[in-house]
Amino acid sequence: MGATIAEKILARCAGLDRVSAGQDIRARPDFVIAYDFPGYTDVIFRQMKDEFGIDKVTDPSRFALFIDHMVPAVTPAEEELHQITRDWGAAQNVPVFERKGIGHQVAAELGYATPGAFAVHFDGHISQLGTYGTLAIGLRRHLLEAFVKEHILITVPHTVRVNLTGTLQTGVMARDVFHHIVRVLGPSSCRFKVLELGGEVIDALSLEGRQAITCLAMFTGAITAVINPDEKALAYAAPRARADIEPVFSDPDASYAAVYTIDVTDLEPVIVVPPSPANTENLSDHLGTEVQVGYLGSCASGRLEDLRIAAQVLRGRQVKPGFQLNVVPTSQEIMRQAAAEGLITDLVAAGAFVTSSSCDYCFGRLGVMSAGQRAVSTGTLNVRGRMGSRDSEIFIVNAAAVAAAAIEGRIADPRRYL
Amino acid sequence: MALKNLHGRVAWIFPEKDFDVDDIVGVANIKLKDPVKLAEVAMSDFDPGFAAQVRPGDLLIGGENFGYGHPHYPPMIAMRQLGLSGVVAESFSPGYWRGEIAMGFPQATCPGVLGIVSRWDMVEVDWTACLFRNLTTGQNLPIEPLSQGDRKMLDNGGLIGYLHARDLEESK
Repeated sequence: MGATIAEKILARCAGLDRVSAGQDIRARPDFVIAYDFPGYTDVIFRQMKDEFGIDKVTDPSRFALFIDHMVPAVTPAEEELHQITRDWGAAQNVPVFERKGIGHQVAAELGYATPGAFAVHFDGHISQLGTYGTLAIGLRRHLLEAFVKEHILITVPHTVRVNLTGTLQTGVMARDVFHHIVRVLGPSSCRFKVLELGGEVIDALSLEGRQAITCLAMFTGAITAVINPDEKALAYAAPRARADIEPVFSDPDASYAAVYTIDVTDLEPVIVVPPSPANTENLSDHLGTEVQVGYLGSCASGRLEDLRIAAQVLRGRQVKPGFQLNVVPTSQEIMRQAAAEGLITDLVAAGAFVTSSSCDYCFGRLGVMSAGQRAVSTGTLNVRGRMGSRDSEIFIVNAAAVAAAAIEGRIADPRRYL
Repeated sequence: MALKNLHGRVAWIFPEKDFDVDDIVGVANIKLKDPVKLAEVAMSDFDPGFAAQVRPGDLLIGGENFGYGHPHYPPMIAMRQLGLSGVVAESFSPGYWRGEIAMGFPQATCPGVLGIVSRWDMVEVDWTACLFRNLTTGQNLPIEPLSQGDRKMLDNGGLIGYLHARDLEESK
């Protein structure tokens, strides 16, 4: 019996020839990653020293810190938190990446998405490194274990394999594919398992689109998502890899908890209706609903293909007066490329408010809504109060649909603008 | 210190699938840190008299995929402050599960539990027998065994105790 990519990665990290799903192992993460956030990093730094008497982490090159939330700081307390992070990084010789964009994206740009590596974070959206054949898992506070111990105790997860077949229609994007998977399989279909994606749709998708899908794995219940790296993924990730690790791939006779095939040929753009990421419906059933805010950004979306399609929709048109369209490229590198392509010019000319990369629009720290307002968003989540008042609403759609809604001031079908 | 069996009344049943625990304190209160203040606002959208009626040891019952969404810690900080001793659900969302086990708050997966409980029934979670018992009705159901790591975490009262226990084990 063969092994899945997840089993192979964990076997190497446990120093074992092979492991199987359900087995409790001690695995050494290749990378330990975090963004600074009150209650997480500040507490971890303090507990490491006060509770466990550890002054220095083992092998600081395994660690990476990002400052991407509360950027720019708006209170002294926020800036103090960032300073704690900078000081800790300097003392530990751990790199701190700041003002480079949303950490999960920047981590890929900087080579932490090493094919075959095992990475841990407290935040689950790190799963997007799975695009490059990295097994990346969000541990919440349990991340402390990786700061005080070289090995963490982990149960080898089962894997659910999803094959995506068919071809995507114009105006249907990776986000639609992901939310369709949730609609078909259900929000608890992959609970505690790894979501392994493949098939001709994944093969044809850009790396950016694959990151949008793997980023959101948690909403199927999965603890992460992974794609066996193809030439396209290796060409991006191998030259910048931070560790010397052989890529691994699932064997053809690997054992899966379940195998599903989903054909996306008939898929149309979707909308995720508040207040739960489980509520995928067809966009066409919600046309005309008035919206006042648009958010194009986040660790899931806000990459070049999102900016390109939004610029295509908006080029030569105008955002409806009074509508607030916030465009936040996922990283500064993406911002630079978008500027070089002229996309920023197009978006600003149409009336978009384009800002430097930050997580803050996604979780209701900037660009917040008041009671009664509604947003179309490419953010990660649509739960109550996520972007302001608990009486505001978030409809998750693809980047083209955000741009189309910005023109009309209501939920609109982007395909008529493409 | 070992994980004790849970024994108490069913203080509340959340039958919804994919229940977002943040609703327990309300999104408006999700940044509160003080357990006393959190306990004051907990469950106000469900039953304003909740805090007055619960007793130490009481349990919560949940439906499928309990804790879905982006769970935060304050809702269960509030519940522990009120004396709740754990949650038994049809199934759990992994992020929520991992977070609460790390806090040392017992969680038991019991498929079928919604079908055999009513509010204020006296119930028990027996970790050794891997059983959920409804002492009021006499009905029993198996619970899923805890993984080695989760068991150690609960045995030691949460993440910090668990890591100290690892230290002791490894220094032997």
